[in-house]
Amino acid sequence: MSFDIELILDSIPKMLMGIGLTFELLFLSLALGTVLGIFLLILRISGRWYLAAPTMVYIYIFRGTPILVQIFIIYYGLPQLEFVRDSIFWPILREPFGCAIVALSLNSGAYLSEIFRGGVLGVDRGLKEAAAALGISVRQRFIYITSPIAIRLCLPAYSNDTVSLMKSTALASTITLLDMMGIARTIVAETYAPYEVFISLMVIYLIITWVIQRTFAWIEKRMSRHVRREA
Amino acid sequence: MTAVSGWWDEFFWGSLVVVELFFVALMMTILFGLIGAGAKLSNNRIAKSIASGYTIVFRGTPEILVLLLFYFGSAIALTTIAQIFDPEVKFVDFPPFWAGSFAIALIIGSYATETFRGAFLGVDPGQIEAARALGVSSFKTFIYVRIPAMWRIALPPFGNHMLSLVKDTALVAIIGLEETLFVAEQAIAYTAKPFTMYIVVGAIYLGFSTIITLTVMGLERYANRHLEVAR
Amino acid sequence: MYEERHDMSKVDRELMIELENVDKFFGSFQALKGVNLTVGKGEKVVVCGPSGSGKSTLIRCINRLEQHNNGKIVVNGHELTDAVKDIDVVRREVGMVFQSFNLFPHLSVIDNLMLAPKLVRKTPKAENREIAMRLLERVKIPDQADKWPIQLSGGQQQRVAIARALCMNPKIILFDEPTSALDPEMISEVLDVMIDLAREGMTMICVSHEMGFARSVADNVVFMDEGEIVESGPPGTFFDNPKNDRTKLFLEQILTH
Repeated sequence: MSFDIELILDSIPKMLMGIGLTFELLFLSLALGTVLGIFLLILRISGRWYLAAPTMVYIYIFRGTPILVQIFIIYYGLPQLEFVRDSIFWPILREPFGCAIVALSLNSGAYLSEIFRGGVLGVDRGLKEAAAALGISVRQRFIYITSPIAIRLCLPAYSNDTVSLMKSTALASTITLLDMMGIARTIVAETYAPYEVFISLMVIYLIITWVIQRTFAWIEKRMSRHVRREA
Repeated sequence: MTAVSGWWDEFFWGSLVVVELFFVALMMTILFGLIGAGAKLSNNRIAKSIASGYTIVFRGTPEILVLLLFYFGSAIALTTIAQIFDPEVKFVDFPPFWAGSFAIALIIGSYATETFRGAFLGVDPGQIEAARALGVSSFKTFIYVRIPAMWRIALPPFGNHMLSLVKDTALVAIIGLEETLFVAEQAIAYTAKPFTMYIVVGAIYLGFSTIITLTVMGLERYANRHLEVAR
Repeated sequence: MYEERHDMSKVDRELMIELENVDKFFGSFQALKGVNLTVGKGEKVVVCGPSGSGKSTLIRCINRLEQHNNGKIVVNGHELTDAVKDIDVVRREVGMVFQSFNLFPHLSVIDNLMLAPKLVRKTPKAENREIAMRLLERVKIPDQADKWPIQLSGGQQQRVAIARALCMNPKIILFDEPTSALDPEMISEVLDVMIDLAREGMTMICVSHEMGFARSVADNVVFMDEGEIVESGPPGTFFDNPKNDRTKLFLEQILTH
């Protein structure tokens, strides 16, 4: 087993060509997942069982099954259904990229809604009561009191979930997409050099993880000004 | 659903493989987690940094990457070693079951390290002091006082790790393990019904998740039974 | 003499709060049992009693933070029912000060005061700020306007909480053990503000253990135990001549230290 430096130097630029796709998958799914997560949260805490119950079922299914299976169902499975092929969504669902985004967004929406719910539940009950006692309506309480505080509380978990989502983007390589992982696999298939290629890819992913974590740490610090006692 | 009828047997055996994989990986996960936590809590600078490196690497790398690295990497290592003894050997395959369970255990073990570490730190030092003051040996205190207390704290997050574990087993299909996804692919080749088959796989995993969730709930109630009586 | 000045039955009272036969259950536990109480305009009521006697539940039912199960509650002419509209109207006129202050941590002191008038009464910004600053002066901490709540001491935070309630120009203020979470040296600064309020004619219901305050300020002292009003009366009679044995026992316990 030799450690082929040349191969590493050769492979890294090739794999980095996939970084655009990796980021596209990450940011698009994160954005859509966040919107979906907020929507699901509102349904969940609406207090109406006919809204909350289906939401809980949705979350249960998407958190209880492997994301790989979800990707396969959407990419390989949906074409089996005629009404899917006839629908307006077909152009999106026909493409591996579209399927990957749909799968990752639906999945992360489920996880994020639970994270947001944790944040909302973490807001001190007394604060909500004080706002209520002042005559502030339910909707206004949610916007001006609960949300700002909940967002700050969610940040660590949201950061972790972003990292998880980034890791999940690598699964797009199983449905023919050439993100960094996809490119790496083709290189390894040609060169039989898993160590050099995969370990360098690992380093790239670790750098991205580090960037994500630092970014969220900075955001959290800025949002916590009012929580830390100034001298 | 009649398409599935010929395949229940195969799915059943595939599910058993998942169960086997789960338990083997679980044992290793607990082992890695305890070792990692021990290293992080020790006073040894080298052990601490190795453990830190371990958690950083395996929490920041996509699972599929770790899996492929271990599978191909170990195959290559094994092949090289075999070629020393018999130059005729072209390729030795490392059993995907063991490569898969080891890789998953390393990944989940890195999360378990943090969980166990937090749980150990969360144990009330007063209890430990009381036991030692009564003359109970260091070792016995560890087994009979520290571990039960630590376990109570670790259980909820560890339950989540177990859920991740069972879902990650689906990835091992990518390196050829003959479990449920593999069966599904065969079934699809025969019946051309990918949606149905993958839904079956999803349902099987949902079943496993449910069993784990219920078991953890039961264990939590058992671990906290002394608190319920206080009402 | 106290009795003459505060004889409720003789004076024509404009009733601000009426509770008639009010029950409140938490599951199978009955927190309020057939409570009857009236509070007239400008009156100060102090509610005392052991832990778990229902004192907090009582005042929380008045601004509907808790919903009563039986009986009738009328606040400032509005009967408390399930209609959401009524609740918000009532809450605009009833202020509340909490034991744990409950200042909004993510807003500065002055923003804490201005939030409700802005959202509920749509008060224009300049006017809002002017009112808020005036109230901060009234509670004697105008210099803290731009600080975060966490930078203030407990006593200061509670005074901000009182100012915040006053910004909505309430007709009634409810106090839920306002000094119980304060270090002893800060209690008097808060009580002073409350005494000022009382002198200016505010209708107040105060759940408190501060018996000195009750004696000097209250028109009516109410003793609750196990969900019932056991005894009530003007402070003179209440403290010097309690009629009920349970009242006597309670007074003995809290007044001998």
